Amino acid sequence: MPMNRNMSHSGLERTERLLDLVPYLSTHQGIPIGELAQEFGVTKAQLTEDLYTLWMCGLPGYTALELMDLSFDTGYVNISNAETLARPRVLNRDEVLALILGLEALQGDADSHHIELRETISQLVSKLIGFVDTSVPQKVKAGTRALSIERGVIERAINSRGSVEISYHSISRDEVSTRVIHPLEFSTSNEIDYVLAFCESTTGYRTFRLDRILDAKPSEFSKATSTRLDLVGTGEKIPLTVNVGSRLRDVVERFNLEIAPQALKSGESLEVESFSTDWAMREIMSFGGDVSLESPQELRRSLKDRATRALNGYSGSV
Amino acid sequence: MASRKNERLINLTIALLATKRYLTKSEIFRTIEGYEGTAESKERMFERDKDDLRRLGIVIDVQGVDPGFEDEPGYRIHPDIYSLNLGELNGAEVALLSLAAEAWRGAALAAPAQSALIKLRSLGVASDFDALPNLSPKLNVKSPNFVPLTRAIADQITVTFTYTSAQLKEERRTVNPFGLGSRQGNWYLVGYDIARADTRTFRLDRIMDQVEFTAKKSSYRAEPTFDVLAFLDSTLFEKREIAEVSIRVGRGHALRGDAQIISSDDEFDLCRISYSEESRFIDAILWHAEDAIVHEPIHLRNKIVERLRALVSAHE
Repeated sequence: MPMNRNMSHSGLERTERLLDLVPYLSTHQGIPIGELAQEFGVTKAQLTEDLYTLWMCGLPGYTALELMDLSFDTGYVNISNAETLARPRVLNRDEVLALILGLEALQGDADSHHIELRETISQLVSKLIGFVDTSVPQKVKAGTRALSIERGVIERAINSRGSVEISYHSISRDEVSTRVIHPLEFSTSNEIDYVLAFCESTTGYRTFRLDRILDAKPSEFSKATSTRLDLVGTGEKIPLTVNVGSRLRDVVERFNLEIAPQALKSGESLEVESFSTDWAMREIMSFGGDVSLESPQELRRSLKDRATRALNGYSGSV
Repeated sequence: MASRKNERLINLTIALLATKRYLTKSEIFRTIEGYEGTAESKERMFERDKDDLRRLGIVIDVQGVDPGFEDEPGYRIHPDIYSLNLGELNGAEVALLSLAAEAWRGAALAAPAQSALIKLRSLGVASDFDALPNLSPKLNVKSPNFVPLTRAIADQITVTFTYTSAQLKEERRTVNPFGLGSRQGNWYLVGYDIARADTRTFRLDRIMDQVEFTAKKSSYRAEPTFDVLAFLDSTLFEKREIAEVSIRVGRGHALRGDAQIISSDDEFDLCRISYSEESRFIDAILWHAEDAIVHEPIHLRNKIVERLRALVSAHE
């Protein structure tokens, strides 16, 4: 099966869409034209042009008997006399890979929470592997927990305007606590997923990191008391000046600096920002002297105190 | 591309799919609309059209129609090879496949996932999401190098790219790619680094530019059964060492994931924690400041004391 798809041949994208429209329409008779355009990711004008093109196509002879018949002047699309193209095309290599990796991500969560799905998922994976003649699915593996359960519960709450009780691991406070939130939307920043929610306990809008939600279950939005939440992505950022020794890459990655690598040199002072002084202090401490905090002064002093306290922990027992 | 050319490609596909026998070129030129002009220009059009359909993954079968006339080959597309056949699928299975595709929203394989979704929906089996528990997986690899690297792995093509070293130096690396895998939220490329004559691991987000294919297909021989996750686990994440650490009660949740509590008092839990990379483990212990104190192994304890002293003196 030749699998090289060269998308630089932009016209071929349209040919593919035309071929894929026929089976889709065959199983979605009467679909509104706007919905169809959205599904295929094109404008209504482009889609209308596609439908006119298809209307000119059919079996040799090209009389009304052989041409496909499309009607869409009412705003709803119907197709007939299109049996030859009515079955969807085979999946290409990238499509198979996307589905397999997605299924494996589901498998990770099925293993721990929904044993009953395991068999079905692995059967689907083996069906799909049969479509590709390379060993790529064996060599490209997503091994991480995909947080399907938590995302699933939260997503349903977003759609039904419901509430969720979460166990949240606050990194800067280093605590796990239970909260009731009213989730509004997902967002992603620097490949980290967040959910924006109205938090019952702080009666305000807050952003939570999805990977720090240890558990999520549907809940009643009540006025139960709960302690304050760790705030991520809200409030003012605190400017800090740090001096970086040898571990430049780690500093750039952990403080999310958007900086050209060659612009940073060892021993230089650098402006960074943080939402939480506690988090910033801990991050700097983890460099163990390779990175030092220059300002603000009071934070520099408390960092020194904290390091001294930690060191004192080693003076007694062994 | 003009609509006329698209019409011709669709008409050619329909005719080759519908035919029960192989069609000769002269039959194609006579019956399929759109082949016009001199014999030579029809010939050129047809050659280009065949290439285009093959580029879309459509398999055109070619066969000599009559053994007596070897110079008149025939063409057809077998419907069973052209179309998707996943066997019997129920609504729950279609729903699972849809969730798998939707995991890619906003990520590297978003476009093929969407086109796969359209094909699945075209099968005419309604997704039965109610048959499933609440699940919503998410794959968030965004690197533009993800798709090219899967191609390089499939076709065994050597690649070259610029990589950021720990000192933030940019280095050119030339690699025979073996596999791509994800661990702890990061995606890694594993491959044979030619200059270093060794198998190395590269974090995808540390590749600074677009990977270049520097050789033809099959430029090296890949191990057919390479297990990328096992390799990552054994090199990056193998837990080789065990430390004894006092963790303050109610604190150190990030450390407790891998910990086993040996004894507890009012203030501390004495825990046994296994770790892989010593430098990362030291970072994690220091991060927890006075809430985590290492007792064993002694060389680790000494290193942490040394780092804490450096930390204090850096802030005098």
